[in-house]
Amino acid sequence: MHVDLVQLAGSRGRLSEAPSVDQVTAEVIRGAMETICFEMAVYVSRTATTPILNQSNERNATILDAQGRLAALSVGIPQFMLTSTLPVRFALDFLGPEEFHEGDVFVANDPYHGGGHLPDYNVFAPVFADDGNGGRRMVLIASIQCHHGDTGGGVPGGYNVTATDVWGEGVRWPVLKVIDRGVERRDVLYALQANNRIPSYIGDIRAQMGAAQLAADRLGDVVARYGTVTVEESVDYTIDYAARRFREEVAAWPDGVYEADAYVDHDPLGNPDIHLHVKITVDGDRLTIDYSGSDERPEIQAWSTFGNTRGYTIGQIASMMDPEIPKNEGFFDQIDLVVPAGCVLNPSPGKPVSAGTHHPGADVGEVIAVAMQDVLPDKAVPQSYKTGIPTIIVGTDPVTGTQFTDHSAEVYAGWCNAARGMDAWGAQNASFGNLWKATAEINESLYPHIQWERDYRVDSGGPGQWRGLCGSHYEKEVCVDAKVYTYVVGMKYPMPGICGGLAGEPNKMVIRHGSADPFTVRHTADWVPIAAGERIMYDYGGGGGWGDPLERNPHAVLDDVLDEYVSTEGARRDYGVVLTGSLADLTLAVDHDATEALRSERRGASGA
Amino acid sequence: MTVGYRVGIDVGGTFTDLICVTPAGEVVLDKTPTTPEDQSIGVMNGLALLAERFACSLHELCAQLDIVVHGTTTADNTMIEMNGAPTGLLVTKGHRDEIEMRRVHKEQIWDPSYPAPPPIARRRARIPIPERMNHEGRVLLPLDEEAVRAGVRRLRHLGVESIAIMFLFSFVNPEHERRAAEIVREEFPDVSHVSLSHEVMARGPEFERVSTTLVNAYVAPRIAAYVDQLQEKLRDAGYAGQLLIMQSTGGVMPPDYVARRAVTLLASGPTGGVMGATLAAKRAGIDDFVAVDMGGTSFDLALVRGGRPEIKTDWNWRYRYYIGLPMVDVQSVGAGGGSIARVRQGALLVGPDSAGSAPGPVSYGRGGDRPTVTDADAVLGYLPEDGFAGGRMTLDVEAARAAIERDAAAALGVDVVEAAWGIERIVNANMANATRRVLAAHGADPRTLAFIAYGGNGAVHAWAIAAELGIHRVLVPRAAPAFSALGVLVADYVVDLVRSYVVPLSQVDLERMRSLAHEVHDEARKEMEPAGLADDATTVELFAQMCYPGQNFDMSVPLPEGETLAESDLLELAERFHTQHERDRGFCFRNQQPLVRGVRLVARSETPKPDHFAETGTVLDPSAALKGHRDAYFGVAFVATPVYDGPALAPGCTISGPALIEEPFTVVVIPPGATATLDTAGNYELTLG
Repeated sequence: MHVDLVQLAGSRGRLSEAPSVDQVTAEVIRGAMETICFEMAVYVSRTATTPILNQSNERNATILDAQGRLAALSVGIPQFMLTSTLPVRFALDFLGPEEFHEGDVFVANDPYHGGGHLPDYNVFAPVFADDGNGGRRMVLIASIQCHHGDTGGGVPGGYNVTATDVWGEGVRWPVLKVIDRGVERRDVLYALQANNRIPSYIGDIRAQMGAAQLAADRLGDVVARYGTVTVEESVDYTIDYAARRFREEVAAWPDGVYEADAYVDHDPLGNPDIHLHVKITVDGDRLTIDYSGSDERPEIQAWSTFGNTRGYTIGQIASMMDPEIPKNEGFFDQIDLVVPAGCVLNPSPGKPVSAGTHHPGADVGEVIAVAMQDVLPDKAVPQSYKTGIPTIIVGTDPVTGTQFTDHSAEVYAGWCNAARGMDAWGAQNASFGNLWKATAEINESLYPHIQWERDYRVDSGGPGQWRGLCGSHYEKEVCVDAKVYTYVVGMKYPMPGICGGLAGEPNKMVIRHGSADPFTVRHTADWVPIAAGERIMYDYGGGGGWGDPLERNPHAVLDDVLDEYVSTEGARRDYGVVLTGSLADLTLAVDHDATEALRSERRGASGA
Repeated sequence: MTVGYRVGIDVGGTFTDLICVTPAGEVVLDKTPTTPEDQSIGVMNGLALLAERFACSLHELCAQLDIVVHGTTTADNTMIEMNGAPTGLLVTKGHRDEIEMRRVHKEQIWDPSYPAPPPIARRRARIPIPERMNHEGRVLLPLDEEAVRAGVRRLRHLGVESIAIMFLFSFVNPEHERRAAEIVREEFPDVSHVSLSHEVMARGPEFERVSTTLVNAYVAPRIAAYVDQLQEKLRDAGYAGQLLIMQSTGGVMPPDYVARRAVTLLASGPTGGVMGATLAAKRAGIDDFVAVDMGGTSFDLALVRGGRPEIKTDWNWRYRYYIGLPMVDVQSVGAGGGSIARVRQGALLVGPDSAGSAPGPVSYGRGGDRPTVTDADAVLGYLPEDGFAGGRMTLDVEAARAAIERDAAAALGVDVVEAAWGIERIVNANMANATRRVLAAHGADPRTLAFIAYGGNGAVHAWAIAAELGIHRVLVPRAAPAFSALGVLVADYVVDLVRSYVVPLSQVDLERMRSLAHEVHDEARKEMEPAGLADDATTVELFAQMCYPGQNFDMSVPLPEGETLAESDLLELAERFHTQHERDRGFCFRNQQPLVRGVRLVARSETPKPDHFAETGTVLDPSAALKGHRDAYFGVAFVATPVYDGPALAPGCTISGPALIEEPFTVVVIPPGATATLDTAGNYELTLG
């Protein structure tokens, strides 16, 4: 049962030799497809009942052609979406097109059959149309992928970060047919339900099924209106267009070989310094990204599947290009991706992946940005994060008497790097902009806790000519006795500075904060008890700065001090800016002479 | 009391539109240039124009006015220019930065260099105050009054003029916000405005509430000053009656109400048009439709079902701030007559960049040199070369052709007509896709809807957008050029109030529900009183805001029991919710216990409505109104297309396509295979083949 994922992701044939469709028609059809993707995503929001589906926007709608090439998408979170084509390809290859019928709907979630990690469920439906010979054939496939709150396995929530293999992480469904020619497979739906802890799970799967069916209907209308061949040629046209635009961008990058290393503090078992290496080769309009040399230690617990690694790679590259290039197969197909089998970024089958989805998965964005910073200083903004996993709190709800699982899906700020010409802002990187996280007034009504603090913490943003975002200081009091499960990284390796900017402050997490018996998380908290009235404290790490902090405009530093992003001491220490007067009295001013003198001295010291 | 004149005045970007219903029931339209520095000047200019038409003095007209209803973009302009009052915030300690974190939302997910929104209150002007309520309104930490005093002094020192207060769970227990407001007034007696979050938006969650409250505090002093000025001018001119202001809920209210809730004026501009369309549709017997306003720079659309515009309570972003109040759901995309066409990297793109009205399309000859949608319209023969824009303008079609040739056709390798047709197809598809997205959010199927088009370019493009959506019935009102003013004039008085109370239905405290119902009734009465509205002229609807556990949005379920709610009513309320959920969302969970999230009240008092919206002509046989023929292109080849004089046509007159009906400010395009009939209310009704 070994599927070669690299081969699964490989180039697939086009639909037409030389598309004769005109640009306007291709554009109109692309617009219709993207609108249908949006309609799919909105349908799930409207009909799902679980907050993670209807609130967080973690849902990705895509349209593929009958070969499994991505034609259009409406993305939830960039890094998470790009894994959604491979499960469809597996189904196409394994079942063969002959087992795809009009009215079918499929479900899949397995990381070793193209998925990212087990909680991500893909639901997809084929679209049939006239084949021009009086028959019908498959033209397109509509797919919607959502992250679910549970997927069976040893730990509620889908993140069993101490599992020894993928089977311990949850139930695996390489591909299931849930609707067969319009008829629901009750046996299959029942099996899905039986393998999940959350009662509303199957309702959410049904929401995805409805969305895929809606899209299949709407796509059927589009194909009927424009004709099968025109639609297929339009898909080719749009894919060709993205490929050409991608190559033009790469051609504008300086030729060369760029290498970098990045590390994850440790895996959940405490194996230290998980190593990522990248070698990026720009040769004319060709781009090769090679992760050879990355960690291969067999004892590692956290692995990123090939599909996951590919998704994060493309997410990072996309952020470094014209945002308007359509994200389709043409975009994906232009990267020569080398990920040796058996390294942490392409594990051999069976390795656990739920923790690895985030780390080392997300860290490929960081290593790419670091590698390219000297040649693409304007674009090197890592679209990654240092989250570990969300903090899971379980206990007994005092009102209902039943167990609650609080995934701590709340707003916090962290890990957002500055870009050239712009201080970092908001809560997270741009690529997370579609998230919509809960706040105190939502979650305190649902779970027994109090969110006391969530503000930016002073001096936590990486200093630079442009400043990294401050991380937030988070304090949450639990109102009942509970247990805490989590995994923390970014303590030893915080978000790096770029082009001479400094790193952001690292993460730090303490359970039972302020009590006589605090528990500082070293790598994981494996159901650490916490008593009613005690607090969880999480100092989220800052983003890295961009450029030399001694080049920052002293008035911008003064503004930062007035706004308490930076302290008076921090201004002097990190930026070489000397302020006079007092923050309390609002009499602060830049001492230009002293600042110039201090900066000269610092520059001299660093030059020497 | 004798019936006098009624006037609706809507301020747009370029023109201030007026509509006046005379004592005899005649409907008069007029337009005057908007005066951006002080919109009240344009308003008074417009009234003077009307007086001229009625051959009386401004003072004589004002003395005979029954009512003046006004739509203003002052709030929007304040946010566009970010020139509101310097604003500070008192906020629960630990939650000072919600407004910057925005629940993680960023508008551009692919662009790491996309900038932050311009701040209303920078971090230094956001003062953390130790205090805390829990979700049941119990005090966890008492209000630190000294911190409030020190904070207010600091804000004064920073030059703040307006103060917003947002404490957690204040909508459950407002005690701390109220006390903090008292301290603000003690420490800062001449503060120009104080916004309390529980008054501006009486529900959670806190990001939405702090954003809404900050915007309110920021624009309120500007609105108050503007409305004062206008009232004074009206009084000086002899008007003794009530001034009413249009809100984004689609209702109107008096100045002192809107000055406190200035944020409800935001985005009220397009709402007037939707209200006008709703009335026109009602007269034509249409209940379910899409209202579209295609102007020079934007395409605004709204869904109306059951004769009522859809109201959106969530995800109302305006000028990069979240407005957590119900608004008529008007969505806007950058597609209009001025939208610029260009070829970028081999792809033909249209909009969102716009040449606007200055410099405008190339064919206007006012210095615009980039081809626009209007230029494509001109090249394809839809627009008259002479007599455009009320006869005040001629179109330079040759210049339009040259610009399209240069910027589109050459790069695409096609001829100029094909390029112009490509521009039409792209912009029409963009508008159709935008419409589909709005309908999708409401679960509506376009094929079951009619289509009502207005705005300067709505009549030109209506047929193509409707065809793209599979809609067969299209209404183009003759009053379209002043439709927003009509909507303003006919809007009802509306008060929409929400009180939060989150509880599983099975655990509802009946006494609390009854007292909330009493509270909102009481407040609505207080708000309606100054408008001179008696209780019996007002209809009041009470709703329970409900959802299934875990859902993110509320449904308003009728709660007619109100203050007499009894235990036995709860089962029926649950059933009402399940049924409504099934109707609107396609499914329901009868085995699940719904959650109550609050009580909502909508009080509405009807205003008189005219029975027609534009005067019509007398010609029943269209050939008598034929002005000539023009070659026009509908996708195959140019065809000689008859051109009719719209104002001459009488109700009942039917015209078959292809045809062009010229109105003073627009052209109604009738494609081949379609017909248009003028109805008695002054609307062209198109039936597409």
